[in-house]
Amino acid sequence: MSGEIDRSWRDPELLAKALPSVILQTGFFLAPLLMTMALTFQRTKNFQLTWTWSLETWTDIFTKPHYWTILGHTLFMAITCVVLCLLIAFPVAYALATRLRAYQNHVKVLITFAFLTDATLKTFGWVLFLDKNGAANYIARLTGFEGDAVNILFTDWATMLGMVYNLLSFAIFTIYLSIDAIDRSLILAAYDAGASKFRAFWEVTLPLARPGIWAASVLIFLLAVGVFLEPKVLGGGKSPMSAELIRQTFETRVNWPLGAALTLVLMVVAVFIVLLFNRIYSLKRHMGPI
Amino acid sequence: MAGNILEIRDLRKNFGAYQALKGVSLDVAQGEFIALVGPSGCGKTTLLKHIAGFEEPNSGSIAIDGQQMLGVPAAARPTSMVFQKLALFPHMTVADNIGFPLKLRKVDAATIAKRVMAMIELMQLKPEYLSRFPRQLSGGEQQRVALARSMISEPKLLLLDEPLSALDVKLKKVLQAELKRLHRSVGVTFVHVTHDLEEAIMLADRICVMRAGEILQMGGPNDIYYRPADSFVAGFIGDTNLIPVEIAENNASGAMLRAPGLHATDPRVPAGFVAADLGTGPALLMVRPELMSPLVPGESADFSIEVTITEVFCKGGTVQFRSIMADGAPVIFELPGASRQPADIGDKVRLGWPKRDIYVFREKVAA
Repeated sequence: MSGEIDRSWRDPELLAKALPSVILQTGFFLAPLLMTMALTFQRTKNFQLTWTWSLETWTDIFTKPHYWTILGHTLFMAITCVVLCLLIAFPVAYALATRLRAYQNHVKVLITFAFLTDATLKTFGWVLFLDKNGAANYIARLTGFEGDAVNILFTDWATMLGMVYNLLSFAIFTIYLSIDAIDRSLILAAYDAGASKFRAFWEVTLPLARPGIWAASVLIFLLAVGVFLEPKVLGGGKSPMSAELIRQTFETRVNWPLGAALTLVLMVVAVFIVLLFNRIYSLKRHMGPI
Repeated sequence: MAGNILEIRDLRKNFGAYQALKGVSLDVAQGEFIALVGPSGCGKTTLLKHIAGFEEPNSGSIAIDGQQMLGVPAAARPTSMVFQKLALFPHMTVADNIGFPLKLRKVDAATIAKRVMAMIELMQLKPEYLSRFPRQLSGGEQQRVALARSMISEPKLLLLDEPLSALDVKLKKVLQAELKRLHRSVGVTFVHVTHDLEEAIMLADRICVMRAGEILQMGGPNDIYYRPADSFVAGFIGDTNLIPVEIAENNASGAMLRAPGLHATDPRVPAGFVAADLGTGPALLMVRPELMSPLVPGESADFSIEVTITEVFCKGGTVQFRSIMADGAPVIFELPGASRQPADIGDKVRLGWPKRDIYVFREKVAA
C-alpha cells in the first residue's frame, strides 16, 4: 500500500540525536557477531582454542550431512510449531476478542500467569504428566484404556507438545491484539452489504488480522528455532535440535569454532526463511485482497 | 396502507432494565426522505439498527415493502447503511469497496466494473481514485465512496447513521446538498439519523423527533419549525422565544392569552395557532426571533412587549439582538442586516409582531 512516505528519518537533527544509541546498539550487536564469524576460522587442539586461521571447521560442516539433518529437523519442528500455534491461537484469540468479551480480562490474566511461569518448570511438569506412571496414563486407565495409552514421552511428539505449549501465549496475544483492533462497524458493514458470517470473516476479519498472524508467525518461528529445553527434557535428547547441538558443541565437545559456525548457519537460514516469507507476504499485499 | 416502503408497528426494545424503544410506530412512503432526530440516547440509532437488522426487537414488527423483516438477517434485507464512521474496508481499494456488495451477490467482474464506474460518476469522484485505498482520500471523498458502496446494490431503503456528524461545517454543507441531489436523482427512500434538527429540516420531507425511546412529533419541516409539539422540540432548532402566558379561555374560536408585560390589540389567538391538546392554564407563546421587529412610537402591532437590549451579534445577513423584558425574561429578536444598526446595548425598545406564525403550546412534557 503506497501511502504518504514518512521522511522524518531524513531529519539531520533527529539522526544526530539517535547517533549514540545507534553506535552503541550496532556495536554491541555487530562486534560479537564479527567475533563469532572470526571464531569459525580458527582451530582447536586438545580442547584448546588455538588462534590459527583455517577452513577446517567449514569443510567439516559442508561435508558432514549430520549437521544438516539436524538443521532440517529443527526447521521442520519450528515450522510445524508455527502452524500448530496459529491453528490453536487464532480461534482462542478470535473468541477472546469477539465472543468472550465479558470474561476477556479473566482469560487474559490466566494466560499471563501461564506465560510468566518459568518454562523449565512447565516443561518438567509435562514430564510428570506424560510419564508412564504419570497423570495422563492414570486418567487413561480410569477411562478404560489398557496399559500405557499415553506413550509419547521422549519422542518428537512430546517435544512438539512442549514447544507449542510454551510458545502459544505469544501467538494468542499478538493475534488477539490485531483482531481486537478491528472496528466492529466494518463487520456490520460486511453483513449489511450481504455477507454471510463466514464471508464477513473471510473478507474482512481475516485480512485485517493478517498483520497479527504474520507477526505471531515470525515471533514463534524465531523462538522455536532456538529451543533447547523441550527437545532435551521432553524429547529425551534423542533427536537434538540445532540449539542443543550448538550448546553441546560449545560445552561438551569444547569445539568453539564449530559451535560458532553452527550458530552462524542457523542464523543465516532462519533470517533467510523470514525474509522469504516477508517477500511472499508483501507481494500478496500488493496484489490486494484475495 | 399501500405504497409504504417501511411500516414499523409498536417496536419495543429493552437493554436489560433500560427501555431503548418504548413502542415506536412509523410509516415511510416510497421515495421519501425521512429524518430521525433527537438528542443522544433518544433511540434514533437503535431504531435504525432495527431497520437494518443489526438488532432484534423485544416486540413489535417491521415490514419493508410489505415483507415482514423480523428474524431476517441484515445480509438478506433490502436495506443499506451508511455508517457514522463510514466503515470503509481499509484493506480494499475504492473500487473493491464500492463493488463489494455486488461481489457478494456473485455478479460477474465486468458488470461490477461497469456499475462501479457508474457509481463513481454519480458521486462525482475521479476515476483515478478507483485504485486508491480509503485512507488516501479526504473525508468528503471517503463519504462519497461510502455512499457509493451503499447505493450500488440498489437498496429499497438507504439508512444513514449520522454520516455527516464528523465533518467540518463547510464540507457538511456541500455533502448535505449532495445528499439532497442524490435523493432526488435516484429516488431511493432515505432514512437519515441526525442530532442536528437544522440538517433534518434542510434535507428531509418529513421529520420524526424522538426523545427517550418515543416519537415525540412527526411532521414536515414547517410543522416542526412552526408547530412544535412542546418546548423541547421548539428549543431543538435555532433560537426561539417562549413567553410564559396564562390561557384564560380556550374554545373552538380560539384562546385568550394573558401575560404580564404583553400588550395585545386583541388577546384572542385563532384556534389554528393553538396546540390541539391545550386546555386552559399556563402555556407558552412561541415567537421566532425573525418575526419580531422594533416599533416606532405610536406604531401598534397585534402583540407587543418592551425590552432592554443586552447584547448585539452581527451575523452577516442578519443582526441578532439579545434583550430582557422588565421581569428579566430573555427575548431574542433578529433583524435583516444593515450597515447602520437600528439599536444598541442598553436601548429600550418596543417589539411587536403580527398574529401569524406564532404558536401557543404546553410546556415540555416530562420524559
